[in-house]
Amino acid sequence: MNFRLTFIVMLFACCFSYGQQTITGSVVDEGNTPLMGVSIVVANTTNGTTTDFDGNYTINAAKGDVLTFSSMGFKTKQITVLNATVINVTLLEDAAALEEVVVTALGIKREKKALGYAVQEVKGASLEKAKEPNLVNSLTGKVAGLNIKNSTDLFQNPEISLRGATPLVVIDGIPDRSADIWKINSDDVESISVLKGATASALYGSAGRNGAIMITSKKGEKGRLTVTVNSSVLFQPSFIKVPDVQTVYGNGNQGQYAYINGLGSGSEGGGWIWGPKVDQLDPSTASGFFETTQYNSPTDAAGNLIPIPFTSRGKDNIKDFFQTGSIQTNNISVNWGNDKASYRMSLSNVYQKGIVPNTDLGNTSFTIGGTLNPSDNFKVSSNLTYNKQYTDNFPEVGYGPTNYLYNLVLWTGVDVDVKDLRNYWREGQEGYQQRHFNVSYYNNPYFQAYEYERGYDKDNVYGNVAFEYNVTPELSVKSTSGINVYSLNRTYKEPKSYVGYGNKSLGNFTNADSRYFDIITDFGLKFEKSFSDDFTLKSEVAYSNYYRKSTAASTQTDGLNIPGFYNLANNAGASYIASNLEQEEAIKSIYGFVDMSFYNAFYLSITGRNDKVSTLPKENNSFFYPSVSGSLVLSSLFDMPQAISFAKLRGSWSRVSEGKIGNDPYSYIQAYDKGTTWNGNTSASFGSSLLSPGLEPETSDTWEVGANVRFFNNRLGLDVAYFEARDYNNLIYSPISEGSGYESILLNGDEYKRKGLEFVFDAKPIQTANFSWDMLVNFSRFRRFQEEIYGDREQTVGFVKVGERTDQIYANVYQTNDNGEVIYENGFPVNDPYQRYIGDDDPDWTYGITNTLKYKNLNLSFLFDGRIGGLIYSTTNQKMWWGGKHKGTVNQFRDDANNGVSSYVAPGVKVVSGTATYDVNGNITSDTRTYAPNDVAVNYINFMQTTSNGQNKNYHYYKESFVKLREVTLTYNFPKKALANTPIYEFSLSLIGRNLWLNSDVPNVDPDSGVDALQAPSTRNIGLNLNVKF
Amino acid sequence: MKKFSIYILCAIFFTASCTDIEELQDDPNRATAVSPDLLLTNIETLAFNNVSLNSALASRYLAFTDGVNENQYYNWQQASFANYDNIKQVHKMIEESQNSEAEVYAILGKFFNSYFITELTLVFGDVPYSEAIAVEDQNYTPAYDTQEEIFLQVLTDLKSASNELAANDELILGDVIYNGDKLQWQKLINSYYLRVLLMLSNKADVASLNVVGRFKEVVDNPSKYPLFSSNNDNGALTFVNIQNNRYPLFNNNNLQTAYYLEESFVNTLKNLEDPRLFVFAEKMPSASALDETDFNAYGGLYGSAVFSDNAAKAVAGNASRIAPRYYNDPVNEPSLLIGYAELQFILAEAVAKGWISGDVSTYYTQGIKASMEYYGITDVDSYLANSAVQLNATNPIESIATQKHIALFLNTGWQMFYDQRRTGYPEFNVDGGGALNEARIPKRWLYPTSESTNNPKNLEEAINRQFATGDNINSQMWILK
Repeated sequence: MNFRLTFIVMLFACCFSYGQQTITGSVVDEGNTPLMGVSIVVANTTNGTTTDFDGNYTINAAKGDVLTFSSMGFKTKQITVLNATVINVTLLEDAAALEEVVVTALGIKREKKALGYAVQEVKGASLEKAKEPNLVNSLTGKVAGLNIKNSTDLFQNPEISLRGATPLVVIDGIPDRSADIWKINSDDVESISVLKGATASALYGSAGRNGAIMITSKKGEKGRLTVTVNSSVLFQPSFIKVPDVQTVYGNGNQGQYAYINGLGSGSEGGGWIWGPKVDQLDPSTASGFFETTQYNSPTDAAGNLIPIPFTSRGKDNIKDFFQTGSIQTNNISVNWGNDKASYRMSLSNVYQKGIVPNTDLGNTSFTIGGTLNPSDNFKVSSNLTYNKQYTDNFPEVGYGPTNYLYNLVLWTGVDVDVKDLRNYWREGQEGYQQRHFNVSYYNNPYFQAYEYERGYDKDNVYGNVAFEYNVTPELSVKSTSGINVYSLNRTYKEPKSYVGYGNKSLGNFTNADSRYFDIITDFGLKFEKSFSDDFTLKSEVAYSNYYRKSTAASTQTDGLNIPGFYNLANNAGASYIASNLEQEEAIKSIYGFVDMSFYNAFYLSITGRNDKVSTLPKENNSFFYPSVSGSLVLSSLFDMPQAISFAKLRGSWSRVSEGKIGNDPYSYIQAYDKGTTWNGNTSASFGSSLLSPGLEPETSDTWEVGANVRFFNNRLGLDVAYFEARDYNNLIYSPISEGSGYESILLNGDEYKRKGLEFVFDAKPIQTANFSWDMLVNFSRFRRFQEEIYGDREQTVGFVKVGERTDQIYANVYQTNDNGEVIYENGFPVNDPYQRYIGDDDPDWTYGITNTLKYKNLNLSFLFDGRIGGLIYSTTNQKMWWGGKHKGTVNQFRDDANNGVSSYVAPGVKVVSGTATYDVNGNITSDTRTYAPNDVAVNYINFMQTTSNGQNKNYHYYKESFVKLREVTLTYNFPKKALANTPIYEFSLSLIGRNLWLNSDVPNVDPDSGVDALQAPSTRNIGLNLNVKF
Repeated sequence: MKKFSIYILCAIFFTASCTDIEELQDDPNRATAVSPDLLLTNIETLAFNNVSLNSALASRYLAFTDGVNENQYYNWQQASFANYDNIKQVHKMIEESQNSEAEVYAILGKFFNSYFITELTLVFGDVPYSEAIAVEDQNYTPAYDTQEEIFLQVLTDLKSASNELAANDELILGDVIYNGDKLQWQKLINSYYLRVLLMLSNKADVASLNVVGRFKEVVDNPSKYPLFSSNNDNGALTFVNIQNNRYPLFNNNNLQTAYYLEESFVNTLKNLEDPRLFVFAEKMPSASALDETDFNAYGGLYGSAVFSDNAAKAVAGNASRIAPRYYNDPVNEPSLLIGYAELQFILAEAVAKGWISGDVSTYYTQGIKASMEYYGITDVDSYLANSAVQLNATNPIESIATQKHIALFLNTGWQMFYDQRRTGYPEFNVDGGGALNEARIPKRWLYPTSESTNNPKNLEEAINRQFATGDNINSQMWILK
C-alpha cells in the first residue's frame, strides 16, 4: 500500500517536473510598495514559496501552470504561466477581508470595524476536534475577559464569568435563560461570538447586562449535498493532579488501632488516620509484622476477632479504584442548499464514562434547520433541536461522606486495600449494612458507586423561527420567535446504612420532576438605506414579549421497608416529605436602534429599550435604558505609516437596568415560609429578610474604550479594551442589626465599580506556501471595588471599606504579635476573636496562548492558558493535614506522639504578662502583652488535629496561579488528490489531547476550578478524531 | 397546557399582549397571611428544643476527643443573636393573633418573648429589647437595654401572661407541648417565672425588681399561681419518629465516636452510687466484662486535662461513651424548657436562701425523685438513704446544685451552666493542665461580629457602660455582680 502510494506520488512528481522553468518577479501593492511574505503556490501542487523582504520571489513552474498569489488583506490573484519567465504582480487590497463580519446582538451581522465595543469570535471549526463534554469548557483561554473555571468532576457546570459577571447565553438570537450549556452540541456550532460589554448586549435587555455568549448554529449552506461524519474518542488514562498521600501510618488515633465493630470509637480511633506505622516488624507474631484486629479479621471459635498483620496493603488505592474514563462523540450531519432553500440535519451522541465505577453521562441531540427564500423579498429560517441528557448515576461532589475522595483518599488508612472492599455488604446483613472498616463516618467506595445512585434524565427541546419581508428595498418587517422547553426527572437512591453527615440512612428514595417553558417573540420594522456612498443608515424598532413558567415537585420517602427497592410505595415512614414550586414571569419590551456610518470611517450606534417586568412591584416595574457607541477608522481617514495596515478607535457608553431580584420572580413579595411540621402539625415561619418599600430596578452604567491596530499587511494585530462599569441602585440584602429580628433588608443600595483591561494579540510570524505559524494571545484583568456602603457604615460584613477591592479574604486566624509570630497558650495557638485579611481572591491576570502551525497537510495547534495571582481555599489540603494523610505529617514528632511523647514545640511565642483590648472592629486599643518564645511541647497529633497546620499554610488559602497545556490537536488532512477516486470529499485524522500538563504551586489539587471542596483528581485526556465529508 | 397553546398562538400571530404583567404578581408558593397557631407550632419547636452538646461540654457532662474544643477548654469567643429571629416569630404570632382576634396567642407570645430575651441576656449582658423588632418604625439599629430593664420587663410580662391566661377562654390550637391545656401553660409560665427570679439571686436587694416579694407572691398563692405538680407538667418537647421530628442527636456520628462522659461527673455519680449513671453512660471498653450495674465499669475523661492525655485514654478504652440510646433511639427522651425536677430544686434553693418558708430537704428529695422518675428509675429510697446523697446541712446550696446538675443532664440547654456561674456549684474543673483562657471559666460570650458592622454606636455604648476591659468573655455582667 505504502509502496504503491509512493510510486504514484513519484510518477506525478516526474510529470510535473517535466518542462519546468524558473519564474522570478516581484509583488507590490497598489501604492507600488513591495509586499513581503506573499504566498505563491503552483495550483494543485505542494510547490510554493513566499516573497522576501523586498517583495521578490523565485519559483519553478511549467508552462500552463497556474500561480496563486495570496496574502492576508489582499485579494488573491491567479496567473497562468505562459512564456514569460518574469511575472510582476500588483495585489489589490481586499476590503472584504478587513470588513470582517461578526454576529452581534439579536443575531445581526455587522462589520467588525463598525463596532464601538469589544467582540471576540471563536469559529466552530476550532471546537470540532478536541472536544469537551461541555461546549463552554472548550472556550477556556480563547477569549480575553471570558474566564472559565473548569471542574474536575463529572457533569459539573464550569463557572463562567465575563468581565467578572455571568453572561447571557444566546442561541441563534434567542436568549437562553435556562442556561443549560450541555444541550448544545459543538458539531452544530457555526461560530461563537462573545459580546463583552453591556453596550454590546443592551438590546437583550436586563438579561444581557453582563455581556453575552452568542452561539450561532450551523444552517444549511448553498452547495452540493454534503454528508459529514465527525467522530472522536478521548481516554483519561492518567492524572495531571491527584492527592499525594502518606503511606507510612494507618488508621487509628495516637498511634493505636484495633477494630472492634466499625463504629469508630475507642481503639478504632474516632475515624482518624493517626494510627500506628504500617509494615512494622514484630518478631512475636506469626507473620513477623505488627498485628492488630481489623475489619477483615477472621474470628475464633468464641467469635473474637483474630489480629492480622497491619501492612500497607492499600498503597495503590487510587489507581485500583478509579477506572480509565473516556469520552466518545459521534456526529453525522447532512447539508444541502441552493438559491431558494437550504437544509441541514444533524445527529449527535456523546457518551462519557466516568473515572468512578458505575458512573457515566449520555448526551444525544437531533437538530434540523434551514432557510427558505421563496422570493427575493421574503426569507424564512428555522431551527429545532431535541436533546436528551441521561445518566443512571453520576458522582456527588463537595466535601463529605458522599464524596469518593473523602472515602477513598482522605479518610482511609493505607492499611485498608480498596480491592478487598469490592464485596460491600456485611455478611448476613445484605441490603441492610454495608461492609467497611468504619461505618459511622465513611462509606465503602464500591458500596457508594453501585448502591448510592443519582439519576438524571432531561429532555430539552429548543428552536426558533424567523422571517423577514422586504416591503420596499429599504423597509422590511421582521420577526423572530424562540422557545425553550425541558422536562427533567432526577432520582436519588440511598441504600440502608449509607452514611451522610450526622445521618445513617434508613434507606431512601427521592423522585424530583421539573418542567420549564419559555417563549420570546420579537416583532419589528427595519429600515436600511444608503443615502450616498458616504452615509448609510440602518434602524430597527421592535416589540418583544417574553414569558416563562417553571414548575418543580419532589417527593421523598422517610425510610424504606424493603431494602434496595426504590419506589415511593416502599416508604417506611408515616408520611412523605414533599414540596413543589411554581414560578411564572413575563417581560414586555419595546426597543430600537439606529446605526449610522459616515465615509466608511465613522460609525455611530444608538440603542434604547423599555422593559416592563412582572418581577418588581407595580410602581416601579417599567423602565427605560439607552446606549451609544461609536467607532473611528483612522486608517481610512489619514495616511498611515507603511507598517500600519489598519487602525481604529472605539468607545461606548450604556445603561442597563435589571428588574429581577435573584432567581425567584416573587422576591419582592413579603410572605411566610413553611416551618417545621411537628408530628403532623404544619407550621409557618417568617423569613429573615425585610423588604424596603419602593424597590426599583438595579442599574449598571458602563463605558468602554478600545483600539484595534494592525501592522505589516495584517500579519500582526493588537486589540486593547478598557472598561469601567458602575453598578448602582443594587438590589441588595443590606445587613441590619439582628436585634431588629431580621438579618437584612432588601433595598436599593451599595455601589460597586468594575474595571478591566483586555488585550488580544494575534500574529502570523511565518507564512510560506508550505509552512505557516499563527498565534493568538489573550490577556485580561478584572477588579471590583466597593464605591459606597448603604447606611451609616464603616465597612461591609465582609470587612470591605469604601474604595477597597471586594474580593478581599478575611479568615479566622490565630493571634500574632507585632513581629507576626503566632501566640501560643499551653503550646496551642490562640484564636484571634476577629477575622483578619489574608489576601485577595481574584487573579491579577487571566491568559491564553494559542499557536497553530501548518506544514503542508499537517496542522498542529496547542493552547496554553492560566491565571496569575489570586487565592484558592483548599479543603483537600486542610483535611489532609488535619486527618493525618498529608506527607508533611511523616516526621519524628508524629512517631513521638505515637509513643505517647509530647515533643512538638511550635515556633512562636507565648504571653508572659499583660493583655490586649479591642474595639468593636477588632482593632487593638491597648496592648500590654510581653512575650517569651513558646517552649511548651505538645502532642504532635493533637496539635495537627486542632490546627490543621493552618498557621504555616496561610490558613489553606493557596496561590491560584497556574499554567496549563489545555489543548493539543495534530491533524493530518488527506490531500484531495488521494481521495479523488473515493466518494470521500474531505478526510482528516487528528491526534487530540486536553488537560495535558499543569504547573501550579497548589499541592494536591488542580486550581483550574477556582474552588476546592475536595475535587476529583484532574485527568489527562488523550484520543483521536476523525472527520470525513462525503 | 391550555395556557401554553395560547402562548404558541401568540407566537404565531404576533399579537401584542396575551397576559397582563399584573396577573403574574402573586406568589403561588407562599402565603402572605397565616393563622397564629401555625406560628405557635414553629415557635414551640424552637423554644423547647434544648439538647446541646456544647453546653454538655461546658457543664462538664461530656468531653470531646476530636480536637481542643472551645466549650470544653473555655476559650470560646462570639455567640449569635439568632434568638432575635425567634422573637420576631413571636411578634408575627402576636400580629396574626390581633388580625384574627384570638388573644390567647398574644398572651403566650409574652411568655415566649420573655423566654427568648432571657436566653439572650444571660449570654451577653445588655442586649436590645425595648427597641428590638421595631422595624415598623424603621429602626434597624436598636439601642441596648440594661439587664435590669430587661429583667423588669420580663417579670412584668410573665406575671401578666399568667394572669391573662387564667382569665382567657379561647382555644389554643397548634400546641405540640400541652395540646391546648391552659392550666399546664399557666404552670409553665409560673414555674419559669420562679426560675428567672432565682437567676436574679445576686440582685435580691434591687427594689424595683422585688425579687423575694415576687417569689413569695407566687409560692404563697398556689390557686392563683399554679406550679408544676409532677413530671406530667414538664415543659417538654416529645420527639417523634418522623423526619425532622427525631431526637436531635439521633444518628449523630460524633456522639458515637468523639464524645465521652466527663470524669468528674462520673466520679460524682459513682460516689453517690447514683443509678442514673447507667442510663447516661455505657461501660468503658476496658471494663466490658463487668456487670452493667457495677460502678467500676464506668470512667470518664477529665474536662480540663491535657488534650492528648484524654485522647490516649479514650483510645486505650478507659472512658465511657454516652449510652447508645442518645444516638440510636429516634425519640430517646423529651427535651425540656423547664422541668418539674428543676422547679423543686429552685424551691429548695429559695427556702435555703430564706426567701420562702418550708423544708429544704423536702423540695430537695422531691427534685431527686422527679429526676429518677424522668429516667424511669423506681427504686429511689435506697439511693436517698445514702448518706452522701442527703442534704448537706451546712451548705445546702452545694447539695442542691449537685443534684440539679445530675437532673439536667443534656436535657435543659445551658441552664446548668448559668446556675453554676451564679452559685459556683458544682465545681467545674479547670485544674487539669489543659485548660485555656488562663484556666478561667468564661462568664459570657462576645457580641456577634455583625453588630459591630451593623449597629456599632449602640454596641459600643453598651460595652462601655458595662465592661471596663471591653467586650471580653471574662467580664462580669450585671446579674452576677
